[in-house]
Amino acid sequence: MAFISQPRKSIIVLIVGLLLITAAIVFVWLQMAPQEHIDWNVTIVGSFGDEMTVTYDEIKALPHYEGSGGFFTSVGYINGPYRLRGVPVVELCDLVGGITPQDIVFISASDGYSTVLDYKQVMGDFITYDPATMKEVAHGQLSLILMYELDGRILSEEEGKPLRLAIAGDDSLLTEGLYWVKWVERIEVIPKDNKNTAES
Amino acid sequence: MTRLARSILVMSFVCLTSLLLALITGPTGCSREEPIELRVICAGSLMVPFQALEKAYETKYPDVEVLIEGHGSIQVIRQVTELHREADVIAVADYSLIPLLMYDVLADNGQPYADWTIKFASNRLGIGYTQESVYSQDLDAENWYQILSRPDVRLGFSDPRFDSLGYRALMVIELAEDYYGDDNIFDELVYSSFDPPITVAKPNGTQIISVPELVRSSDARVFLRGYSVQLLALLQAGEIDYAFEYESVAQQFGLEFLELPIEIDLSSNLYAGEYSRVAVRLNFQRFASVNPSFEG
Repeated sequence: MAFISQPRKSIIVLIVGLLLITAAIVFVWLQMAPQEHIDWNVTIVGSFGDEMTVTYDEIKALPHYEGSGGFFTSVGYINGPYRLRGVPVVELCDLVGGITPQDIVFISASDGYSTVLDYKQVMGDFITYDPATMKEVAHGQLSLILMYELDGRILSEEEGKPLRLAIAGDDSLLTEGLYWVKWVERIEVIPKDNKNTAES
Repeated sequence: MTRLARSILVMSFVCLTSLLLALITGPTGCSREEPIELRVICAGSLMVPFQALEKAYETKYPDVEVLIEGHGSIQVIRQVTELHREADVIAVADYSLIPLLMYDVLADNGQPYADWTIKFASNRLGIGYTQESVYSQDLDAENWYQILSRPDVRLGFSDPRFDSLGYRALMVIELAEDYYGDDNIFDELVYSSFDPPITVAKPNGTQIISVPELVRSSDARVFLRGYSVQLLALLQAGEIDYAFEYESVAQQFGLEFLELPIEIDLSSNLYAGEYSRVAVRLNFQRFASVNPSFEG
């Protein structure tokens, strides 16, 4: 066994001590970060008037979909593609009686923004774009999700924390940003015939 | 504890303190002066000219850094009035949006977000196309609506719910009915192309175009996209033959551009009264602070 002098021993002890403390801090931080409590509710209304409120934690406990996707803005700025995780909107509609081809879905956000989607879109029918060329390209199955995780972390406020509408798939493609509604707080299924006012 | 270990501890303390001080003071600790930031939020159709303005302004005022950010016109205003972002200048493609959406909306200090606006440039709506577009050799200001309604012509629209060019194109088409004396223009180009249909009501000498909550193309030759920037890509790729476009944007992207008569191209103050007979109403409230009705 090699002889270790007293000063050298102290340095080793000091370094090991510092490493242990750093490791402990990192460990605690990693444990704490995903456990941030988020107080957020989403109201879901069915086509027959069924209404329920689900919390952020309850949404996270539902079966999730994970895929990739990104979006571009009205002036062509590209965001992503990212790794996305969330609950398919169709699953949320199922909580209040489901959605049929005769329905449309209103998605509203806490900032007053809203968008409307039809049955096909809820089922993943969107035009997709190659992030490198911005040309329209074919795609595999897409899923419209209520996203709570982006690239393995919770969303930032700017990104729409805690829940944002997103379009994910297997091909890392882009979709139009107008569907990526931030801060979603209400999902409402409405029969098409109740809403469309046909004037001559 | 040995002397060496004590020395290391002291040195570690000094290093950590220095690091903390550096983090706290940040880059302001250095002697170089920060440039003044001038934040500009502008419409997408203004990005190219504003980037030229940015360059000229920064050359004249080297201590100012112009930061430009582009959005759709309504989103430009919403960045300030609903998302409460600070901006020094906002510029939109439809100047009437500023009084409509900012004069009556109060900021935290009780003052409206804006109480004046400057019209610094004008534009006109027309038809963007390429030399490869079918019938482009025959196209003129008298027959464009007949050519655009032909079954083998592919026509692009941006979504009137989301894009100001989208709802303004509808206004131009409706104005064209009176100008050319043909009551079928809107039906042939718009009403029959979407399901549910985009309709027109005509109460008391006005024309109210009603856009449903959901807009989907029901005609294979009509391409609907969320943003007008996507139509430019489709035109350049030859995927569509024609799309309504601003003259400035058509020039920026090297497209052919058909000027429409001034009576319908939404460009002239002289015809503002005529244009305002046509309005577009969205059948759902897209934004909290936006009355979903736009006048020509």
